[in-house]
Amino acid sequence: MPVIIKTENLSKIYGGKIKALEDLNIEIEEGEVYGLLGPNGAGKSTTINLLTTRITPTSGTALVGGFDIKKHSMDVRKVIGVVPQDLTTDEDLTGYENLMMVARFYDVPKNLANERIATLLRLVDLEEAASRYVKQYSGGMRKRLELIVGLVHDPKILFLDEPTLGLDVQTRTQMWEYVRDIQKKLNVTIILTSHYLEEVDALANRISIIDHGKILITGTPEGLKESLKGDIVQLTFKNQEDAETMKKFPEATEARDFGPNIVRVTVRNSDEVLPVLIKYVSENNLTIMRMTVQKPSLDEVFLQYTGRDIRQEDAGDVRKMMMNMRRMRR
Amino acid sequence: MSGLAPLTARELKKWYRNPVFLLTGLIQPFFWLALFGSAIDISKFLGGGAATSAAAGVIFQGASNYITFILGGILVITSLFTAMFSGVNIIFDRRLGPMGRFLTSPIRRSSIVFSKILSAMVRILVQVVILIAAAFVIPNGLVLEHGFSLLAGFVLVVTVILVALIFSSIFSVIAVRLKDMNTIFGIVNLVNLPLLFMSYAMFPPDIMASWLADAAKYNPVSWAAESIRTVVINGTVISSQVANVEWWMGSLAILAAGLVLLTYFVAEKEIRD
Repeated sequence: MPVIIKTENLSKIYGGKIKALEDLNIEIEEGEVYGLLGPNGAGKSTTINLLTTRITPTSGTALVGGFDIKKHSMDVRKVIGVVPQDLTTDEDLTGYENLMMVARFYDVPKNLANERIATLLRLVDLEEAASRYVKQYSGGMRKRLELIVGLVHDPKILFLDEPTLGLDVQTRTQMWEYVRDIQKKLNVTIILTSHYLEEVDALANRISIIDHGKILITGTPEGLKESLKGDIVQLTFKNQEDAETMKKFPEATEARDFGPNIVRVTVRNSDEVLPVLIKYVSENNLTIMRMTVQKPSLDEVFLQYTGRDIRQEDAGDVRKMMMNMRRMRR
Repeated sequence: MSGLAPLTARELKKWYRNPVFLLTGLIQPFFWLALFGSAIDISKFLGGGAATSAAAGVIFQGASNYITFILGGILVITSLFTAMFSGVNIIFDRRLGPMGRFLTSPIRRSSIVFSKILSAMVRILVQVVILIAAAFVIPNGLVLEHGFSLLAGFVLVVTVILVALIFSSIFSVIAVRLKDMNTIFGIVNLVNLPLLFMSYAMFPPDIMASWLADAAKYNPVSWAAESIRTVVINGTVISSQVANVEWWMGSLAILAAGLVLLTYFVAEKEIRD
């Protein structure tokens, strides 16, 4: 499959020191659903904003659909569809009017635009609501509208920045169905960001984990899970001495400290190894305070590579600093 | 693929669907016209009597009443106010989200700003028509003693459009990078009274303190108010006024052209989230 997006040392630095994105080098192939996974402030939106020409890079560049984002931003804009994190539709217009306005931005002929709009509305079950004002839409309906606004000009690439942020669990799974449908029926390449692991797991066929403006690892969801080399047994002991003994467990493919008196042991297959582990514990007179067994999941992958849990949803440093800077500028 | 047409259509749709918007823009100028315009009775102004009335007639350029005299000023002020607030919508688009969509669409970035300016112009022209109609209805209101020629109509409309361009450009340039509308409101509050009273919009230069009258000479609001005033009072551009009107409108046109160019470049380069 040909490469449709390629970045070369793409960087965005705010105020000379806040590195929102540092030397990003990625290649995305046509037809892929590529997921950027990371906590808030990791650089996901910065990446999307750069690739969609909403902001300009401090250094480096990228080719999107064959066009340079710096030199040919207008051509880039013609081949991409964007569903930004914030809502962009106009509340005082109807759903249809919003779609038509954007279609006119791309000079889509009126008949063709009407055809496409009808198809898209059907795709996300908004036919009935099309003639209502957007301010009367529910949160989920607005998100669905946002999803198709980015598609009226039949783009080759669709960017989805946190498409389900702020939606309840049911609506979120429903959105996933719509995204899958769109990918299948319209055959677009999708670049998706999310800080919901299950979302990226469900939709993407390749994932990069990003944190502090840097990509930590890229792979398929399965590949990433496999890279954990088995199941993880996390044990909390009474003292560090016991923990040290545990690290010498012969069946472990990997064992490392994970806090005071805590050891994470990676084993091939926990179902078979667990009895052996228990035997080892009793033979060595170790006192376990707490024990959990985790099968490979993206949560675990994330924890492994970033050293922290994705659900610790503190606003990242970069975002905080940027907000402060904005305040200062006023 | 400039995007100007769909964006302007959007602005106008939002406007005519919201009658409150139209009304609030008209209430203040209407009160200025009806109440302030009736506050001064020219015939009483200099103490009555034939001689003083004649003097008043000269000072007020032959207007048969104060409303006739002040109409040009009110139209300019209305245009000015509506134009000043057109920039605010840029900030709203930024805060409410549509700006993100515009910036990733293949449209000219200046179209985002010019759609506001164009729609402000349309709104202003509608307001002008309504205000002129109101001026006729008010007791002792507008008197077109010498009729109203096509040329007079041209001067009135073009002047109003130039004022709209000048002030909506200035305030759009200010709004291009602002995130907070309060800044705009602050600036509007800061400049509206000086612009209004340091001009010939409400009063003839002959009754002003001379320093104020001198300062008002350089105010575009004065140029515009005087242009419209002379054609309202005289029904057309009378020969003694040709040079004046040419100078006023010429200056306004040059100023407008310069500011529109500035707006274009600033919007293309600087507009962002």
